Amino acid sequence: MTLSPYQGGRRLLSISAAVGAAGLALTALGSALDPRRAVYAYLVAFVYWLGIALGALILLGSLHASSAKWSVVLRRFLEHVPAVLPLFAVLFVPIVLGRHQLFPWADPGALEGELREAVAHKARYLNVPFFVARAAFYFVCWIAVAHFLRAWSLRQDAAGGVTLTRWQRRLGAGSLPLLGLTASFAAFDWIMSIDPRFYSTIFGVYWWAGSFMGAFAVTNVAAFATRGDPSQFGAHMNLDHFHALGKYLLAFVAFWAYIAFSQFMLIWIANVPEEVPWYILRINGGWLWVGVFLVLFHFLVPFFALLQRAVTRSPRRLALVSVGLLVVHWVDLYWLIMPHLDARGPRLSPWDLTAFVGVGGVAVAFTVWRMRGTLAIPVRDPYLEVSLRYLPR
Amino acid sequence: MKALVLGEFGEQAALLDAARSLRARGGARLDLHSPYPLEGADEVLGLKPSTVPLVVLVAGVIGAISGYLLQWYTVGYDWPLNVGNRPPHSPAAFIPVTFELGVLFAALAIFFGLLAAWFGFPRVHHPVFEVEAFRSATIDGLWLSAEVEGKDAEGIAAELRRLGARQVSIVPEAT
Repeated sequence: MTLSPYQGGRRLLSISAAVGAAGLALTALGSALDPRRAVYAYLVAFVYWLGIALGALILLGSLHASSAKWSVVLRRFLEHVPAVLPLFAVLFVPIVLGRHQLFPWADPGALEGELREAVAHKARYLNVPFFVARAAFYFVCWIAVAHFLRAWSLRQDAAGGVTLTRWQRRLGAGSLPLLGLTASFAAFDWIMSIDPRFYSTIFGVYWWAGSFMGAFAVTNVAAFATRGDPSQFGAHMNLDHFHALGKYLLAFVAFWAYIAFSQFMLIWIANVPEEVPWYILRINGGWLWVGVFLVLFHFLVPFFALLQRAVTRSPRRLALVSVGLLVVHWVDLYWLIMPHLDARGPRLSPWDLTAFVGVGGVAVAFTVWRMRGTLAIPVRDPYLEVSLRYLPR
Repeated sequence: MKALVLGEFGEQAALLDAARSLRARGGARLDLHSPYPLEGADEVLGLKPSTVPLVVLVAGVIGAISGYLLQWYTVGYDWPLNVGNRPPHSPAAFIPVTFELGVLFAALAIFFGLLAAWFGFPRVHHPVFEVEAFRSATIDGLWLSAEVEGKDAEGIAAELRRLGARQVSIVPEAT
């Protein structure tokens, strides 16, 4: 297969970079006007976009672990998306700076009563130096795995052979336990510790399940958007590739619902005072309706939509459902974080928008920048031919 | 009285061509038998999308609804049970059984639906197995079967030979 390096995306790059820079600047302004709200909005945007990049990395690792052949044609995209992770290490700095707004445990002296006891009990884990050190460790792991998987795959474009495929498979499979655990602990540190009393061992998987679904949704949208560009991967995918992606999306919509329900039911039925207030907060006031919205549009509606071949075998409809799920995924993270800012209910602020487009804009720009000048398909992967002829029957 | 005409082909292209021309001729219910999936068989046979998924969906939804109603009626309405001081009608606690019954009904619908729709239950033995040579359909033979009116069987058999069948057999009285 001969393919020319990807040179498009210049407009997308400049627009998203400009929107991203403006969004981040406005969010910084917001942190001066309304510090708490702006920092919370920034955290939602940060874990949203980071989760998608991390989901793509875990997906890439699982494809290598299962020696998947069907996905070779779209694998390069999954190698490029996690290449944005170094940017997120930089974007993590505002969260460290905004820790006094976000995390009660960052100022244990100012706490009273039960919360003070809980934080004192967990102080050996929840303290600022260890928090920063853990975050640094997570980022080192993620960036290293993402770097080598992408670099070896790019090197194979020139060198060919099977040795590099073998290396990628070993690293992809071997890194999965590490990626799973670091992603889980990142969710404990950055989202769950907003309420230091609450703990749920499945919490990391909850964040990860939605993010993994988001990674599939982004892949579907990108594949649909690049269908007309022969230097991109979407143009080389057949309907069965889209069908397979659609089935995966269905599976992870259901997986998210399974994890969300398991966490809720176990906490509800156990009725333990440390855990239950987290849900009481979310079934009172306006948050109840956000929860009902999530049950409907994060599970029931997309589940029955994706059951139909008419949707999963149509790239356009699949992309449409994916965009819908990407919106709902943001609502899910908003519901996960924002009740601790305002117990009365969801109140949208301009900083929600500026932070979302700010982090998203620079992340998209960075990803497109890393894509440009490289081949959009691993042209000398030994299984590319098998992938192009993919026919699941 | 229906008869079954069986023809064995050596090449996939010849098999699909034969099926195409017999289908154009009409009057026979065609099927293909091969050791591996044949690309293009759906289109040559003009198969309609299967109704099994719809049957399974309906059965699954019925199963889920009846699972929920069973729990609601027994522990929530007819004989209210106090379990750990939860309300007798607790939707969250009912979901696991509701889900399991949905899955059970769907799985049973697949099993019995396939028995009825594909294997023609209560028929226990398919007439193709009357022909000893047909065993090659699971090894290396590509077979075409045509269910026709008894009087047309000879004509179809001649047609199959003309289309390049290596061997042709007629199973009379295939019901």
